[in-house]
Amino acid sequence: MAAPVAARALRAVPWRCAHPALSARHDLHTTPACLKTRAARVRVGKGDKPVTYEKAHAPHYIAHRKGWLSLHTGNLDGEAGAAERTVEDVFLRKFLYGTFPGCLANEVVLKRRANLLVVCLVLVQNLAPSKLYFLIGYTETLLSHFYKCPVRLEVQTVPTKVIYKYL
Amino acid sequence: MAAGCAWRRLWQGSAFPFHVNYASRFMGRQCFLLNNDLMGVRLAGSDADTQVHKTNPLVSISDEPETLYKRLSLLVKGHDKTVLDSYEYFAVLAAKELGISIEKVHRPPKKIERFTLLKSVHIYKKHRVQYEMRTHYVCLELKHLTGSTAAVYLEYVQRNLPEGVAMEVKRTKIEAIPEHIQKPIWDTLPQVEETEVKS
Repeated sequence: MAAPVAARALRAVPWRCAHPALSARHDLHTTPACLKTRAARVRVGKGDKPVTYEKAHAPHYIAHRKGWLSLHTGNLDGEAGAAERTVEDVFLRKFLYGTFPGCLANEVVLKRRANLLVVCLVLVQNLAPSKLYFLIGYTETLLSHFYKCPVRLEVQTVPTKVIYKYL
Repeated sequence: MAAGCAWRRLWQGSAFPFHVNYASRFMGRQCFLLNNDLMGVRLAGSDADTQVHKTNPLVSISDEPETLYKRLSLLVKGHDKTVLDSYEYFAVLAAKELGISIEKVHRPPKKIERFTLLKSVHIYKKHRVQYEMRTHYVCLELKHLTGSTAAVYLEYVQRNLPEGVAMEVKRTKIEAIPEHIQKPIWDTLPQVEETEVKS
C-alpha cells in the first residue's frame, strides 16, 4: 500500500519550456494494482493451467453465463433460513469432497425441493463401479439420517475432467 | 393438437396423474405417438362402456357443501427469471387443462436487496464489496374455484415447484351473509311514535 501512495506524491509538474513543441510531461503512471478484486477468479498464466467452465468465469457472470451451485428459497425476499442452508451446504461439500477422494470433476450442485435434498455430482471414473455404488448408497443413507430428510444423489461419470480452457 | 387431445383423453380414462412432472410435456409428446395404437384400442373397445365404476381411492365424495373461492392468488418468487417464465407456462397450462378460468397473469417488478460490506478482514475501510439479491415475481390470479378444485390444482402445482422457487397462496372465500345481518335493522325495530316536544 506504501508504493502507490509514494508514487502519487511524486507526480511531476509539467515542465514548461520556450518551445511548446518540445515540452515533455514526466508523469508517473499510478497502477490500480492494489484495487483489483481477486475473488473466485483464476489469474491468467502461461497457458498450461487447465480450468473448468465453473472456475474460468468470475462471480459477476452468475445469472449471465453461470448458474447457481446451491438452489434454495432461503435468500428470497421474505423467506427465512438462509444461514441454516449455507451451513448445511458447507458441510455437504466438505463431506462429499472427502467421501469421493480425487473423483469430483466439478463443484457439487445442491437442489432443495420441499423436503427433498438432491445432490448432483459429476465424477471422474477413477473408482471401480462397485465401490462407487457403495459410496453413493453410504452417502445417501448417512446424510438422510443426519439431516432427517430424504437425500438423493444424482451422479454422472465422465472419463476425465471437462476442461473449458487453459489459462 | 393431436398430442394435446390425446393427453386430455388419458386424464379422463385413468386416475389423476400426480406423478407427471411438468418437464414431461416434452417427453409426453413422444410417448403418446408410440402409444397411439394402444390408446385407440382401449377407448374404442366395448370394455369402456361395460366397465363397472371402480371406487377410485384417490377420489372421495362427501356431503358437506363445497367452499367457494372467489379468487385464488399465487405469487411465485425466484432468483431466475427464465425458471419463473417456464413455471408460469406450466401453471397456466395446468389451469387451462383443468378448466379453471384465469383472471390475469402479471409480473410485479423485481426487488433487489443490496448491501455493502468491508472487503478486508481487518482495516481498509475505503475498500468495500457490494452484494445484491434479486427476487423476481410472477402473480397468477384464478377466479371462481371450488374447494376441491383448488386443492387438486394447488397440490399438483406445488408438487412440481422447481428448486429455488417459493410460492405464496392467497385465497378469497365466498361466504353466505350471517343470519343476524340478513335483514336491515330498521325493519325489525318497533315503530317509535313521534311525540311533540314542548319546551
